[in-house]
Amino acid sequence: MKKIQMQKAFPVILLTIMLIVSFPGSRIGTAEAAEKVSYRLKWLFNMSVAGDIYADVHQFFARQGLKVTIKEGGPERDAIRELELGRAQFGVASADQVIRAVSKGATVVVIAQLFQVNPLQWMYRTDRMKIERLGDLKGHTLGVTFGGNDEAILKTLLAKANLTENDVTLFSVRYDYTPFFKKKVNFWPVYRNTQAVFLGQKLRQAGEDFAFFNPADHGVRFVANSVVTSKTMLEKRPDTVRKFTVALLRGWQAAMDQANAQKTIKTLQQYDRDSTLETLQEQLDITRRLIHPKASIPVGEIDVAAWKQTEKIMLDQRQIPGPVNVERYLKAIPEY
Amino acid sequence: MLLHRRIYQFFIIYLLAVAFLFLIKYGLDLSDYVIPGPVDVWHTGTREFSRYFSDVMNTMMVAVIGQVISIFLALLVGITGRQATWIGSFTKAAAYNVQAYPIVALAPIIFILLGDGIISRLLIAAMICYFPLLLSVIGIMSEPISDIEHFYRVTGRMRWQLEVKIRAFENMNKLTTVVAGSATLAMAGTIVAEFIAANAGIGYSIRIALFQSDLAKILIALFLIGITLSVYQGLLEVIGYLIEKGWAAK
Repeated sequence: MKKIQMQKAFPVILLTIMLIVSFPGSRIGTAEAAEKVSYRLKWLFNMSVAGDIYADVHQFFARQGLKVTIKEGGPERDAIRELELGRAQFGVASADQVIRAVSKGATVVVIAQLFQVNPLQWMYRTDRMKIERLGDLKGHTLGVTFGGNDEAILKTLLAKANLTENDVTLFSVRYDYTPFFKKKVNFWPVYRNTQAVFLGQKLRQAGEDFAFFNPADHGVRFVANSVVTSKTMLEKRPDTVRKFTVALLRGWQAAMDQANAQKTIKTLQQYDRDSTLETLQEQLDITRRLIHPKASIPVGEIDVAAWKQTEKIMLDQRQIPGPVNVERYLKAIPEY
Repeated sequence: MLLHRRIYQFFIIYLLAVAFLFLIKYGLDLSDYVIPGPVDVWHTGTREFSRYFSDVMNTMMVAVIGQVISIFLALLVGITGRQATWIGSFTKAAAYNVQAYPIVALAPIIFILLGDGIISRLLIAAMICYFPLLLSVIGIMSEPISDIEHFYRVTGRMRWQLEVKIRAFENMNKLTTVVAGSATLAMAGTIVAEFIAANAGIGYSIRIALFQSDLAKILIALFLIGITLSVYQGLLEVIGYLIEKGWAAK
């Protein structure tokens, strides 16, 4: 009788054990297992996430005892929302996203700044425009993505040059490059290390000369992508945050090392199958200059002054209702 | 009566949806960044109402024109396609094939060819709402009303115009429902077009709000889209009712 009862109870006991073992907080049977975390990227797999992928593929996370699920980003993805909803433990967000989130009560913390130089710049035809100082923008048609970072940056640049929107023609930029190719607009916002490489190749084929307008050269340093986590995560699992940051930054440093160029490209090719080898090489060279522009600055260093300027720009343009003192949400990177 | 019902039904649905969002927000203790609070939504509403209302009107205008075009197109194709001839079946096959391509794949080509002005928005709105209209028109026009049509056929007085008129009159309720329903699709089509590439309309404003991660603006936009659409659909139903009544009186 007892034997029959035991036989009946066996599947229930087995299922209970399986559930306990598979529960995220459980430690039973997982003493040696890696700690699982999710990492939501800002954009699709391309050169801008080379270091993230490198850290995963080349076991930098695993060596820190982490099993990281890297989730591709996209226009409708928002890492900060996912942190709050518990769908990810780490993510990549732009500085304006972080500042906006903080101003609305989100408890987000910046743990590393990936781009030291913002890749968002403008590409322009040198035979149509000559830009030596900001005032040279006057009278030109300037491409801008309304609502995007480039709008905030461009408006700040115009204000710095004492120009108003009446002194220039703002052209609304979308996915279609036709107005730029047709020379209807000769000043076009691009991501310097990705889109600009495709566009540059096309312009070179057409025998056209072009240059890049970098807002930082004119004193506007608007921070781009950074790595974020939640305050709760930082308080409750500081060791995991430290391990993740160390692994990630080591991965980025290795990926941007000139000596590892072929390895980085080979790694990225597993994810980005559409770009040619030539394109990836050019993209990597440019990305390296944006991520690690000076040997004296470690990869991932948080540029507090640039963050403060970003907040000021957003405040001046009324994108946030009041100051947030963003420096309170920046956490210095650990030694790695 | 129909109009009145449409509006209060919309209010019930919208308020239930917003209440559900607030329930999640306060239940999970989420910040205003993830789901805005009632005060934030109210402030955004008072600040953006006039601008968004004008955007919705702009979108609505394109959607209405797009819908009118698609009604004519569906009637034309439906009337031609109702015949069991080679031309009839060819027309149907062509109309079905065009619809097989998702609009998001076609939209960039349309914008490259026609630019990001009103024509592209109009075309996409018409393309999205015309197919359901076409299916209904073909269904209605292919089905004989035997007891009435028989009389005209045996007396030799049947003309295609009369046939169409009889079938339309006998199915006026169905046609009105389909036309009112397709208004939603026309509006959705226009918003999709604006979201992808246009420089005006509420779809364009929603895109900017998404860039700024501002859900409060999106909730206001959804409210204005919903209320405008409810009024428009209610009016279409009233018009359908009046036409039916007018024909019956004759």
